Amino acid sequence: MKAVARVLAVALALTAAIAVPLAQRSRAQESAPPSVARPVAGPLSAAIKQIDGTPCVGANELARLLDGAKYWRADVRKLVIRANGHRITFTADNPIVLLDDRTLRLSSPVRSLGGELQVPIEFIPMLPRDSSESSQGRLVVDANGSRLRLVPPGGYVGSPRITVEPGETRIVMSGEGAATAAVTGRDRAHLRVRLPGVFAGELPDSLDPAALVSSVRRVGTSDAVTFEFAVSPEAIGWRLDTQPGRATLVLARSGAALQPFAPESPAGPRPMRVVVLDPAHGGDDAGVQADGAVEKTLALDLAKRVATELERRGVRAVLTRADDRVLTTAARAEIANRARADVVVSLHFDGFQSPRARGAIVYCPAASFAETPGDAASGLTPWRDVATRHAPQARALAEALATSLENAAQGPARVRERLTQPLLGVNAPGVTLECATLTNAADRARVTTEAGLQALAVAITDGLLAWQRHE
Amino acid sequence: MNKRRLLIALAVLAAVVVAGVAGWRLYRSREAVPVTSMVDSTQAGVRAMTLWFADDSGDSLVAETREMLEAEDLHGRVSTLVAALGQGPTRRGVAALPPGTTVLHAYLDDTGMLTLDLSRAFQQGFRGGTRAEELAVGSLVRTLGSNVPEAHRVLVVCNGAPIASLAGHVPLDQPLDLQDWP
Repeated sequence: MKAVARVLAVALALTAAIAVPLAQRSRAQESAPPSVARPVAGPLSAAIKQIDGTPCVGANELARLLDGAKYWRADVRKLVIRANGHRITFTADNPIVLLDDRTLRLSSPVRSLGGELQVPIEFIPMLPRDSSESSQGRLVVDANGSRLRLVPPGGYVGSPRITVEPGETRIVMSGEGAATAAVTGRDRAHLRVRLPGVFAGELPDSLDPAALVSSVRRVGTSDAVTFEFAVSPEAIGWRLDTQPGRATLVLARSGAALQPFAPESPAGPRPMRVVVLDPAHGGDDAGVQADGAVEKTLALDLAKRVATELERRGVRAVLTRADDRVLTTAARAEIANRARADVVVSLHFDGFQSPRARGAIVYCPAASFAETPGDAASGLTPWRDVATRHAPQARALAEALATSLENAAQGPARVRERLTQPLLGVNAPGVTLECATLTNAADRARVTTEAGLQALAVAITDGLLAWQRHE
Repeated sequence: MNKRRLLIALAVLAAVVVAGVAGWRLYRSREAVPVTSMVDSTQAGVRAMTLWFADDSGDSLVAETREMLEAEDLHGRVSTLVAALGQGPTRRGVAALPPGTTVLHAYLDDTGMLTLDLSRAFQQGFRGGTRAEELAVGSLVRTLGSNVPEAHRVLVVCNGAPIASLAGHVPLDQPLDLQDWP
């Protein structure tokens, strides 16, 4: 009998060892605080799941798409979503839904699955219009019924379709808000058309050689899509025809009722008599520092080297500072403007939290600024933003510098459009050039040697001269 | 001997049954209780918020959607968002906002301009170049744009005073239009 008792005791101990922690874990989960840092799916859509043959969407996802706040009553297993002034109450395993003061009955119950209430998709059309449509967009179910989407107010913008006809090229852009499409940049190399909505198409991989457009790219904006076209010199003008759902950009070799492109610089080399080089930071402001490399010192050394290279090639170079001193933004701009600069290059070295970040970035003012200058009421450009008047030239300069850096193995080099502080008040085509990323070991090793810095100076000079030659 | 074996078998069977019941209860509890039901949140709502962090490569911003307790007022909401940006992402990317940045005041006027007064750490804690500065400002502006739809422009001030920029790269002397930070 003693042996039997021992066996029973061991069995009970085993049972307790397994069951008690499980029960404790279960209770602990029930009383845990809500998950406030749980990543959920992407911002604009939610998957529709088939649950016992009923298409459903998760209540958490629904609340997210409605931009609603959720309140859970554990005792009665009810979830309340408050969104856009409405109150929606779901009850687990119950087909009754309370919508404000109305009672709705769904053909299938709201299910509890995977730790989340699942709402039959038949509920979506029952939502009041001002609830399912907000400033963020409106809820629609995909044509194939696989996702519930928050369609932005402007709807989706499709792929631009390009057709070549005798004497003209037509680019058709479709979208719900296409009737309000507008040309936001008239520069031939950067002809820009803006449509409200979110891009949901693809840009063409290749273009017909006979087309009057040589490239298409998309410029990001938060609530609209902007396409940028590089137009052939053969086109004499453009026209934008808009109608509901469709905007057509017509580029033509001849004809009337065409809009002109922005004035272009005269043929031949661009004037580049004076280049102002602006070594970043200085004095108390050291800029980026990484493993012994100091931005203000490197920038000054580089500026002197570029100046020497330019002078050697017959171009006058002016430095905003030739020693280690502090200069205000206004003082730097004043030096450039007094020198009547044809080009201004603000020389920087970058730094970032992650050592993976590398390469060079050339910042230029946004080209679209050139077509929508300044204060809408006065039609004037504030002096602070005067560099945006030269945005198309600055963009070309940025691309020439990026190409030159890439060719000289100083890349990767990218171009970004943003009016940076060093260009405020600068009345000339100007760029801010982050030459390399000092927090990246390979970049730092390259630019902290004499030969590396000299090669960088030559690449920058080559880029400036390429811009001068329209290359 | 046979009786003893029988008792052992019964005991083991009992242990298995009890463990099975406990496991089943755990499974049921996981299935039946929604994530949001872990506590009764009658008093505090939970809302999905989109936060923007810097990509590891520093080339762009990456979005992360989180469920967060809803704040009662604008100041609370903006403070919660800024605190979450400071804590960094839970998935990929890195925090772009300078460490220690907190919200001192947030004020939204009738025209949709949000004046955001950040602590001194916003400027003093910043290290980096144009890329880091653009991503820090972009992270802040896009997060506000995603979660405070009534704001259309943001004016960033630091410790109650206007600032020209974080470290001389991205101008902050004028309100930032949310549409310029896609």
